[in-house]
Amino acid sequence: MTSPIIADPARDQILRSIRENLATSAPLDAMTHARRDHPPLVARAPSPEPRDPVQRFTTQLEAVGAQWTLVRGEAEAARALRRILADVGAKRVAGSDAPLVRRLLPESLTGLTRDELFTCDAGVTSAQWGIAETGTLVLESARERSRLASLVPPIHVALLSTRCICDSLGDALARVDPASHAITLITGPSRTSDIELTLVVGVHGPQTVHILLLEEE
Amino acid sequence: MTFDRDARAALNDPQLRGALRQATTLFGERRRAAIASVADWEGARDRARAIKDETLLHLDRYLEQFTANADRTGARIHWARDAAEACEIIGRIAEERGARTIVKSKSMASEEIHLNAALARRGIEPIETDLGEYIIQLAGETPSHIVAPAIHKTRGQIAALFAEKLGIAPSDDAEALTAAARQALRRRFAEADLGISGVNFAVAETGTILILENEGNARLTTSLPRTHIALMGIEKVIPRFADLEVFLQLLPRSGTGQVLTAYQSLLTGVKRRPEDEGPEQLHIVLLDNGRSRMLAAPVTRQSLACIRCGACLNACPVYRQIGGHAYGSVYAGPIGAVLTPQLIGLERAAHLPYASSLCGACRDVCPVKIDIPALLLHLRAEVIERHAGKQRLLERLAFRSYAAVMARPRLYEWVMGIARLLRITPPLPAWTKWRDLRPLAPRSFRDEWRADAVDEKRSLYDVTHNR
Repeated sequence: MTSPIIADPARDQILRSIRENLATSAPLDAMTHARRDHPPLVARAPSPEPRDPVQRFTTQLEAVGAQWTLVRGEAEAARALRRILADVGAKRVAGSDAPLVRRLLPESLTGLTRDELFTCDAGVTSAQWGIAETGTLVLESARERSRLASLVPPIHVALLSTRCICDSLGDALARVDPASHAITLITGPSRTSDIELTLVVGVHGPQTVHILLLEEE
Repeated sequence: MTFDRDARAALNDPQLRGALRQATTLFGERRRAAIASVADWEGARDRARAIKDETLLHLDRYLEQFTANADRTGARIHWARDAAEACEIIGRIAEERGARTIVKSKSMASEEIHLNAALARRGIEPIETDLGEYIIQLAGETPSHIVAPAIHKTRGQIAALFAEKLGIAPSDDAEALTAAARQALRRRFAEADLGISGVNFAVAETGTILILENEGNARLTTSLPRTHIALMGIEKVIPRFADLEVFLQLLPRSGTGQVLTAYQSLLTGVKRRPEDEGPEQLHIVLLDNGRSRMLAAPVTRQSLACIRCGACLNACPVYRQIGGHAYGSVYAGPIGAVLTPQLIGLERAAHLPYASSLCGACRDVCPVKIDIPALLLHLRAEVIERHAGKQRLLERLAFRSYAAVMARPRLYEWVMGIARLLRITPPLPAWTKWRDLRPLAPRSFRDEWRADAVDEKRSLYDVTHNR
């Protein structure tokens, strides 16, 4: 514990109230527990069908309205990345300081202020994991510091190695780096249905999410 | 009674009923389609409930573990016994941090404590950034649905509201309206120095809080300003990081019918290096406000298993007709009818346990299998307990006599015979005001049965002997 222990009457009173009320119900609980078998608390979900994880991932990406391009090697990736950005007419591109992004697009802007970031046309980041089951990207703050580049500009391009595609949400949760103060899961573009349940994409975050999948050479 | 009046007003509002029918039906259909993709949906529900039960039975221990771990990673923990204390804590932090522009993402707990009004009294009203919440804040209304706060408003009403408040050209195109809100809110985000959010799950094992959303406003709220305040009810804690999987399977599917919402933010303390993105300070406010009392009995304790998906609202034949506002409480629908009396006191919400037909649709769709009808009956019994008096005496007498007659077949036949002879109908004006009570049949079922049995013997005899 980093902070000194200070007397907190609110904390003490809430915890005491919890304990007293649980004690009141203890005899009733003993009765119900005798009758009920609890299912296992940490059961594994049935393993997904043994299909190619990349194919499952891209199928799900399409289902959630994301775009994707599969490339082999970093040289091809750099060309594809420039083409994607040119096709959407992105001029000011915010790039993260992840080594892969620096190698593929060294001219992208880093260290932007909040106001500067708000004027960018596109953001390029790395993603640490993909989830085949749901078409989800996982960004860990320990390895991807510039998560705002994936959120503020209207277009987000994410770079992901095909080796980092997990089967399921559970697999991804077991593999993420707990040293990250922020882990962000992204599934498709920003969306809302708050007006008569009409789907509109790109409300506070990007309208377009494009995943550049890197296969090793 | 205001519920009676407001429910009637809602029933006479064809626009509201149209919007409700469309929205709740669509949510229901999407939910059914989404749960089909889970191999063992029932198993997932059972597991989630078991995790919640385990947590609630040791809530003190898990809260201590959660706060110790959150504190270790740099979050500051605050405990609030009630709504006033929570508002005071948040208001004080906002003042200490010199906050001028406060952005807020959707949080039902903040509605529960009426945080916006409390902060407005200090001259610092936060700006709601979820599109639905923003709409109702502009309109000066309250949310009418847990996950879709502006479900009751039509596109035309929103268009008129935006034209008036944002000065845009009237348009009833949802995309144009959304774009206008995005523009207006971007300016606020650019200057925001404090962000307030809710919490969906808090992991004891790691001190992590998880926030689900679709729009990206919660991500902006929790990462742009230099201070983030997260408000959570004490029941949001779950034991292990791995437990998140089953809840992430259940919540989006039950709430919006999505396999997963667009964004999940898993936040563990504050940034480790000064050059990282994210707030300098994270304050987590733990709110009791009547929750610890619900632990006193298994039937009421299950209210704390609720993950606020809103599926019971969409399934409820009462909510589907009257919408959220008629309930007159922050939490509407079946879960609101059981939570509200427990949170604010039965004497202030005695009507809510009766705002149900007890059909059980809420229990069937609940992802954590809360037996809402049982809770409603439990609360109704409490209402009756408290209203001792003449009416209760008469009611008791009536049920005693009924029981005495029903337990004695001969007495029953005799009483019914007299009633039939004199054509007596029971004096039940409250019942017959809305329903017809059929007159007694000229012959009782027992008489018919006996006569039939004789006939049947005779015909059986005829068949066997005359062939």
